[in-house]
Amino acid sequence: MFIHNFKYSLKTLFRNKMLIFWTFAFPIILGTLFNLAFSNIADTEKFDIIDIAIVNNDDLENNEAYKTVFKQLSDESSEDRMFNTKYVSEDEAKKLLENDDIVGYMKLEGETPKVTFVKSGTNQTIFKYVVEEIAQRSNMLSNIVEHEMKESVMPENINTEEILHKANELAQNNEIKLKNISNKNLDYMMIEFYTLIAMACLYGGILGMVAINQNLANMTNQGKRISISPMNKAKLLISSLLAGYVAQLVGLALLFVYTVFVLKVDYGNNVGLIILLSMVGSFTGLSMGVAVASLVKASDNAKSGILIGITMLGCFLAGMMGVSMKYVIDKNVPIINKLNPANMITDGFYSLYYYDTLDRYYFNVASLLIFAFILIAISFFSLRRQKYDSI
Amino acid sequence: MENVIEIKNLVKQYKELKAIDDLSFEVKKGEILGLLGPNGSGKSTTINCILSLLNYNNGIIKIFGKEMKPDSYDIKSKIGVVFQDVSVFDELTVYENIDYFCGLYIKDKETRKKYVEDAIELVGLKDFKKFYPKKLSGGLLRRLNIACGIAHKPELIFFDEPTVAVDPQSRNNILDGIKTLRDNGATIVYTTHYMEEVEILCDRVIILDKGTILASGTTDELKELARIEEKVTVEVNNLDDKYIENIKSNNNVDEVTYDGNTLLVTYIEGKNNLVDMIDYLKKESIKYNKIYSERPTLNDVFLELTGKELRD
Ligand SMILES: Nc1ncnc2c1ncn2[C@@H]1O[C@H](COP(=O)(O)OP(=O)(O)OP(=O)(O)O)[C@@H](O)[C@H]1O
Ligand SMILES: [Mg+2]
Repeated sequence: MFIHNFKYSLKTLFRNKMLIFWTFAFPIILGTLFNLAFSNIADTEKFDIIDIAIVNNDDLENNEAYKTVFKQLSDESSEDRMFNTKYVSEDEAKKLLENDDIVGYMKLEGETPKVTFVKSGTNQTIFKYVVEEIAQRSNMLSNIVEHEMKESVMPENINTEEILHKANELAQNNEIKLKNISNKNLDYMMIEFYTLIAMACLYGGILGMVAINQNLANMTNQGKRISISPMNKAKLLISSLLAGYVAQLVGLALLFVYTVFVLKVDYGNNVGLIILLSMVGSFTGLSMGVAVASLVKASDNAKSGILIGITMLGCFLAGMMGVSMKYVIDKNVPIINKLNPANMITDGFYSLYYYDTLDRYYFNVASLLIFAFILIAISFFSLRRQKYDSI
Repeated sequence: MENVIEIKNLVKQYKELKAIDDLSFEVKKGEILGLLGPNGSGKSTTINCILSLLNYNNGIIKIFGKEMKPDSYDIKSKIGVVFQDVSVFDELTVYENIDYFCGLYIKDKETRKKYVEDAIELVGLKDFKKFYPKKLSGGLLRRLNIACGIAHKPELIFFDEPTVAVDPQSRNNILDGIKTLRDNGATIVYTTHYMEEVEILCDRVIILDKGTILASGTTDELKELARIEEKVTVEVNNLDDKYIENIKSNNNVDEVTYDGNTLLVTYIEGKNNLVDMIDYLKKESIKYNKIYSERPTLNDVFLELTGKELRD
């Protein structure tokens, strides 16, 4: 009986075009639009352009290899630009580093390069890697040709493309955590996608709402018919709710697959925690659906409208239409976003990506669960009624 | 005979309106009971109270000898309801809808399959199994609504105006189906505001108005209440007054009216009146165009009881 109802609930949900549009198609469409809007930025800056300095001394003047390679990799008109290079004195370089204007600087002492930086991170690693690569290659080359025609050590023999490619790989290498991202664009884009996931989680509430509504005699005609059957009401509700949750997770999985494989969104590496947060977020969405189904006496469409409206507002405040909204709210009226489930989900993802510790992540997960249980507890009193004053 | 439903002193008050006012009646095993009443007389409210969907202010409702409560699952498993509003899932096909609702009662898959097929057969939806409700005509949709209510072969079935907005052919089809169900042993409560249906279908009738019983009994008993048994109409021109006086003098005649073209005679008892009239006209050599006899309808009864027409 439980499975019978579950099976048919799934069928009714998946065949409901309005539901499928809002919970499955709409987030995917919106994600695609986000992606289009950001694709310019994303394409030209595969990763950040790294600010560096090179000490402008005689040894550099005499070394074609370093001079040419860094010139190429810093070329503003090139698509492959990696560095924003300043040629300065050693004192100035030190000052720039202290002020955090550059990630590091290189000084040539004879033929030996010396790289200096204060912090460690991806950008520093890439910088160091490029310098080492040049050193190795130019050494090899000069050893071979030294005896013959020293002046023909052509820097062209050093393939900058290959260096770039390697550096790229390095940047994407899992062992390097992108913790110190300075580029606001990346920030921006990720928040949009986090709110997108949050929106999909909460829109799933419409599925829960419809699944519950179908069972309530005071809400739908089918509910009357179901209520006069010899089925235990709690069993029916749980079975329908489970169907709503499963449908929700299917939609969410589709969204993840689409954003990761088609839009190439990078959610970071903590797959387990990402799934956990999405599932908890969906559960919270479901609880909102249950509450609206049981507490609001209105047509299905009106109830969907309420859920869509609440979700949209929540996502807007959490930064969907511009991350500055989130910052403004977080700073001035933090209570709003503390109570906003869309922000709890967004912030959970955000903290997973940008923080080393998981405290903030778990705080958000706990907040979501508390939020959900409060809504379900309130709904419970309405749901457990079996007879109504008016239907 | 055994009572399947017993209702005593039922009172149901919506916020400001008393929809059911001290209603008591029984439904006997194997009968078709008609609940007849105009719009808003409380038919649906009565059914919803019996089904434990509605809270009521007072009264006792027993079904199969036991008090009916929301978790009386043993009672519920023997009841089928065809609601006034079509109550099916738009997202499920005809077959799936019937299968879903039947599955809330019948666990065994093989039995259920057979029951669903039986229901489809009964309501004549064989060619529409794969149709979605939105693609069905109004009459076919009503039939689906019926199939969903009765597929699990209940012993007690409520039909709440199942023929509203249905063409005559579909209506006959539905009424035949209900008779079949009764013949197979089901007890049936049938609500309607169509007189003809009650006369064709019901063993016993309760006439409801404003939540109280105006009258109850078999259709014949009810017609007796209205004192008239038969109406004979003769189309005849320029009939002499002496003939009219002559007809009036008959003991069995209740009333005679004549407007120069049509003679209308109502009789207290309904035997041989038409034949006697024809004989009389022949004997007196009176020429007439047309002569016919009518049995009084429940509408006459209702008119007699309330002074208003049943169908508004
Ligand atoms: N949910 C409700 N809230 C308030 N009043 C109601 C409600 N449902 C019905 N009523 C009122 O109760 C009375 C009886 O209604 P009910 O639906 O039982 O009539 P009915 O005999 O089934 O009529 P119909 O032939 O139109 O179906 C009507 O006056 C109606 O307006
Ligand atoms: Mg009604």
